[in-house]
Amino acid sequence: MKLKSLLLTSLALALATGATAKTIELLNVSYDPTREFYVEYNKVFAAYWKAKTGDEVIVKQSHGGSGKQARAVVDGLQADVVTLALAADVDALYANAKLVPEGWQKRLPNNSAPYTSTIVFLVRKGNPKGIKDWDDLVKPGVSVITPNPKTSGGARWNYLGAWGYALRKYGSEAAAQEFVGKLYKNVPVLDSGARGSTTTFVQREIGDVAISWENEAYLVLKEFGADKFEIVVPSVSVLAEPTVSVVDKVARKKGTEAVAKAYLDYLYSNEGQNVAARNFYRPRNAAVAVKYAANFAKLDLFTVDEVFGGWTKAQKTHFADGGVFDQIYSK
Amino acid sequence: MRTFTRISAALVSLVTVTTVLPAAPADNADLQALRAQVQALEQQLKVLARQIEIKEETAAAAAPTTPKITINDKGFTLASADAANSIKIRGLAQLDSRLFFGDGGGVVNNAFVLRRARIITEGTFAKIYSFQFVPEFGGSSVSILDANFSVAVDKALNVKFGKFKSPVGLELLQSDSWTFFNERSIVTNLVPNRDLGVQVSGDVLNGTLNYTAGVFGGVPDAANSNNADFDNEKDLVGRLFYSPFKNDAESFLQGLSFGISASGGREKTASGRTAGYKTDGQQTFFAYSAATIADGQTWRFSPQLDYRNGPLGLIGEYVVSAVNVRPSATGVKTELQNKAWQVAAGYVLTGEDSSFTGVSPASNFNFEAGTWGAFEVTARYSNLKIDDAAFPLYASASTNADEATAFGLGVNWYLSKAVAFKIDFYQTKFGFSPLAPAVSATQILRQDEKALISRFQISF
Repeated sequence: MKLKSLLLTSLALALATGATAKTIELLNVSYDPTREFYVEYNKVFAAYWKAKTGDEVIVKQSHGGSGKQARAVVDGLQADVVTLALAADVDALYANAKLVPEGWQKRLPNNSAPYTSTIVFLVRKGNPKGIKDWDDLVKPGVSVITPNPKTSGGARWNYLGAWGYALRKYGSEAAAQEFVGKLYKNVPVLDSGARGSTTTFVQREIGDVAISWENEAYLVLKEFGADKFEIVVPSVSVLAEPTVSVVDKVARKKGTEAVAKAYLDYLYSNEGQNVAARNFYRPRNAAVAVKYAANFAKLDLFTVDEVFGGWTKAQKTHFADGGVFDQIYSK
Repeated sequence: MRTFTRISAALVSLVTVTTVLPAAPADNADLQALRAQVQALEQQLKVLARQIEIKEETAAAAAPTTPKITINDKGFTLASADAANSIKIRGLAQLDSRLFFGDGGGVVNNAFVLRRARIITEGTFAKIYSFQFVPEFGGSSVSILDANFSVAVDKALNVKFGKFKSPVGLELLQSDSWTFFNERSIVTNLVPNRDLGVQVSGDVLNGTLNYTAGVFGGVPDAANSNNADFDNEKDLVGRLFYSPFKNDAESFLQGLSFGISASGGREKTASGRTAGYKTDGQQTFFAYSAATIADGQTWRFSPQLDYRNGPLGLIGEYVVSAVNVRPSATGVKTELQNKAWQVAAGYVLTGEDSSFTGVSPASNFNFEAGTWGAFEVTARYSNLKIDDAAFPLYASASTNADEATAFGLGVNWYLSKAVAFKIDFYQTKFGFSPLAPAVSATQILRQDEKALISRFQISF
């Protein structure tokens, strides 16, 4: 009888131990300039999840050019979630490997873009070349730093920002193509990602102006000093909508679907929106947006849907092999 | 990179010029222009440096996922970036010339022979799973020589299934490409060749002791499995091979290895006993009578030794092979014990190390460069004795020899690791049963066999 009791007690203890907190590991595959944001967000989310469920969540991060990161996930990088620079890169996960469902973008509010950003210019202190707007980037003798749109999501936003400006100002697709062509003639180095471009401009001291994510530009001022660089806000720019998704096929296999979904849902919470705003991403939440309004310049923003008919079309027209960018850059 | 250097030089020159120029007010415009030029060049220099940096970063990022292709004198290998998965294609071709001397008229045995022609496919998956597939196109028919699958659980535990060499004979376990002589010694007549089975093996005691144990279908002496084994009689095979000084780099005994192997099982029917024993010149000197069948226990026992010290290599082995036979299905059963031994040595004249896995020339043969590859001289003495009880009930005393004693001398020229030319002379003296006639009924046994066998070999 004693033996039976002992066995039952042991079994109960084993079950109790098994039912206690567990450690869950997630991999967030993201694009270049989100490093600092997700370092902070991961801590906030881990604390939230621990309080809610008692489980430890360790979120590992992978960063690089958004297009390159999407290809890595398609090639087998075991991402539980992707937080990429643009919807087209998440679309690639569906198109190439069916890792996410076709309607992935409708699963979360705001087309799965929990925060936004825009494209601004970063210049050296005193703005020696007098850069004020997109027109100044195509002037002879102005050296422009922007990454490669074939590998970088940020670069595609930069490209579309320039195109949208030219289209609006000069009135035709041909004029816009000529304008963007001139701009890329002024680009001496094409990095594979936005962070690489920042390195080129800031640390390697190459170029007169860097076309940059707004959050990345603010981060440069914070990290390297406002006495060395300035942000120039153009008259018009593109509303950049970085998108997020659970990588269903991977998360299902790893048994992390619930926590991966919660990780992305929490980006829309007050806490998540505050972290985004603190890291210079424009929050979706109106109250948080008001709180951080002073941090973000007011400018005329157009969307990809308005000017380019959506990301699918923009991707195919401009960035697919043999597309407009290839024609421009191979000239 | 040339542009980078040119711009660097120009930049240095301009900096030097601007440094030594007097700062006269009249020259201010020139100075401004020069400064602008320096700044422009400096930018170009930085751009070039950054482009190189990006290229290096891209290459470094691509490296972990880029498959590796290796083509060298060990074959063609396609491997994943982490080397966990690979496919390797190797090959072996041996063209022999056999010349026999003084063997009387009427014997047609001089020949060119495509002794071996193999395409060897090997692969590894997830680091621990590997396979080998070796078809044989040499000789008179095509056959599957090796087809096996291994799981390398640990250095101390490797499990192998399929068709592969039964681990009894020492020289047999050495690759066909790297034996001292073109043909293995007559001792190899008494051990099983390739068989179907499963074995476990591994290195233990800090790598000094290699063990092998397996269950095989069981094949007669010198035979290969015909890819099926439809009986209930299986062979158990085991081998221990000890290299006690393997880890003592200072010891002249570092290359000493010795061990024992044994097999035991049961065989039945005519296909259960050997088809015959061959001389160094590959002529049959003993075969059981056609009606003789195996019926009962078979066993083998083989002490063996291998020693390597710089250019010197030695190999020695002794084999007893026992088989129970009947002269017919109802005849009397007798256990016959055939015995053989050999001692062989090789010395690499050009100083390269002798090795169980071949000689690697310090430099390949290159007539223009005056390099000649590696040369090795070899010698061997061997003996095989048939059990006296085999005659006359189980084998004819008039057509068979009951003993062969052979010596061989050889020269091996390794033009590269992959290409070799080898030439051997063998002389085999035959002994006969007291029941044998004064003159053997078999022509080739009436005198010593004197054979000159030369070989051109490609092995990668």
